[in-house]
Amino acid sequence: MRRQTKNRQRNAKLNPGLSLLALTGFLVLALPVLALLTRVPWGSFLEIAISESVLLALEVSVATSIISAVISVFLGVPLAWYLARGPQARTRWIRPIVIAPLVMPPTVSGIALLTLMGRNGMFGKYIYESTGYSMPFTTTAVIVSGIFVGMPFLVLVLESAFRQTPIEVEEAAATLGAPPAKVFWRISLPLAKSGLIAGAVLAWARALGEFGATLMFAGSLPGVTRTMPMAVYSAMESDQGSAFVVSAILLAVAILVVFFLRSNLIKTFSR
Amino acid sequence: MLVKKIAVLSAIALVLTGCSANADTATQSLAPSADTEIIVLAAASLTQTFTEISNKFELANPGVKVTISFAGSATLAEQIKQGAPVDVFASASSSAMFSVSNEIPNSKTFARNRVVIAYPIANPKSIVTSKDLNNKDLIWIQCDHQVPCGTAADEALAIDGVTAQPKSLEPDVNSVLNKLLAGEVDAAIVYLTDVFANSNLASLEFSNNVSAATSYSIGTSKESSSAAQDFVAFVLGQSGQDVLIAAGFDAPPN
Repeated sequence: MRRQTKNRQRNAKLNPGLSLLALTGFLVLALPVLALLTRVPWGSFLEIAISESVLLALEVSVATSIISAVISVFLGVPLAWYLARGPQARTRWIRPIVIAPLVMPPTVSGIALLTLMGRNGMFGKYIYESTGYSMPFTTTAVIVSGIFVGMPFLVLVLESAFRQTPIEVEEAAATLGAPPAKVFWRISLPLAKSGLIAGAVLAWARALGEFGATLMFAGSLPGVTRTMPMAVYSAMESDQGSAFVVSAILLAVAILVVFFLRSNLIKTFSR
Repeated sequence: MLVKKIAVLSAIALVLTGCSANADTATQSLAPSADTEIIVLAAASLTQTFTEISNKFELANPGVKVTISFAGSATLAEQIKQGAPVDVFASASSSAMFSVSNEIPNSKTFARNRVVIAYPIANPKSIVTSKDLNNKDLIWIQCDHQVPCGTAADEALAIDGVTAQPKSLEPDVNSVLNKLLAGEVDAAIVYLTDVFANSNLASLEFSNNVSAATSYSIGTSKESSSAAQDFVAFVLGQSGQDVLIAAGFDAPPN
């Protein structure tokens, strides 16, 4: 019975008009990427890929995006849990604030971070005056930018996954004597596993691709704050071959992410 | 049913196109001398000056309309190479101008812009000479090496013996300027024109400010009108030069 339903879903037939629209939609997304791939200097790819500027950018990007993702998980899981199970009166206004960075223009996100943590910032001012520490232009600033833009993805996806666990299951466990912590770790979180994986990977990918906020808040210095997207932007001015190589690497990462995620995303969003 | 729908839609479409064609001819008959439009692509650091120059030019030449777009010189050059419509190109980068020598065969230098060390007018970090940038406690930034203001900055810093590294290599001079104005850095290497435009900034010159300057060049495209040539002449002439000098640019070398 189940197999029959699956196969039926896979054989959607669209009428010619809708097929044309679908094809156009696909081409709008696929053709620019294809064009990009044709400009990549494949002959000198390896040589450029191991050049200093590319390796430095790779280091900064990989290290900061992973740390951003890990911290996003630590902070985002409890937040997503609260949004899924907390009192509606409160979650109703907490949720839009959490989701806001998703729709904020990255430059605005950067300005927001700067006005909070910069030397003249709301908090940053006091930190600077008492310790002399200023967050802009540090690798930490890159990580913080990554958390700001990535964590909302994790929370969004994970809250949805938590909600899919019928609350009766958790209540049943509680009536059987399980303390709330045990219910969370043994039942709620495992059942939301696909959402957690999807959310964490999306948060990581988003942090990896971040440009505007990081540029505004952390600046762009090779080996310290210049991430791969920034390296592309910088290279477009002079060494376009390098720009295309880094773009191709980022593209490959994006495709791998989507490929890896597809089963997790399907499980999270279709029940 | 479907045939009827198509017929109705086609009829509406035909009427609309017919109407707009009529509207075009109507305007044409009302204005005997059609407006000449010239498209100018100019480097971002020319925003205020070229807007003023184009306004003055339009006043002096009724019937000519100037449309300007401002962006980084390399970006504009790339657009021109890809076929973007252009009559006049004003570039801050000689390599950008060189890269479009097919489309813009002749160009002339029309201004220079010195790079300077800018800092808040109150000078809280007591910056006196360019060597103060070597001070470890001083946070300063500049443009990225391959951008015109960055190339000029590198040269000036090398001549003055500044060995310390900036905290950031920003993609354009506006990013640098904004961070200085936001108080996030103690000093920044920007153009003299940027200091002129901001009354709360002071500046300090490098010892060799001739080489520490970006040369701006201007040229017309192959099929441009005489109006475009007039615009270039305007920029190179007294009217254009007055605007540029007042903003802090230097005259071109003669």
